[in-house]
Amino acid sequence: MQKRQVQEFMTAFGGLVDHCFVSCVDDFTSKALSTRETGCINRCVLKWMATQQRVSDRFQEHNQNLAQQQANQASR
Amino acid sequence: MSFLGMGRPQPTSEQKIEAVEAEMLAMASSYNSLQKNCQAKCIPNDFREAELNKGESVCLDRCVSKFLDTTQKVSEIMQQQGQQQGMQQGGSGGLF
Repeated sequence: MQKRQVQEFMTAFGGLVDHCFVSCVDDFTSKALSTRETGCINRCVLKWMATQQRVSDRFQEHNQNLAQQQANQASR
Repeated sequence: MSFLGMGRPQPTSEQKIEAVEAEMLAMASSYNSLQKNCQAKCIPNDFREAELNKGESVCLDRCVSKFLDTTQKVSEIMQQQGQQQGMQQGGSGGLF
């Protein structure tokens, strides 16, 4: 179970790096990240986390509603 | 002869764990694709701001609802198709 959690985290982390690298890094005239790229990566990570949180909240709400409906049907 | 379901072969605990594990994997994969799809549809890639703005938040909320409804719809249609095929093939219909 713990192994799977580590795996899941690594997958999510890799996905986030992919996402922010593709979205933010497009200037290969210099070896270092530019301030613009760094700023973009910062906002990208924060926004990604906020997005995950919001989607996760709605997903949980949906599942709770489903469970509630099933409980209501069972008790009827 | 089955009395109170005793004639039915009971699934072993191993089989039960397998089924739960399969369900969890399916759930996780559906959840990951939900995250990915709604991110792609609702969040522009320019990252001018770090916070979710109102439009993006509302888009995410609707996206989750629509994605889950779509999942439900697709599964319904597939079940109908399966039932129809079962009826055509076996006559008696029922199980896949």
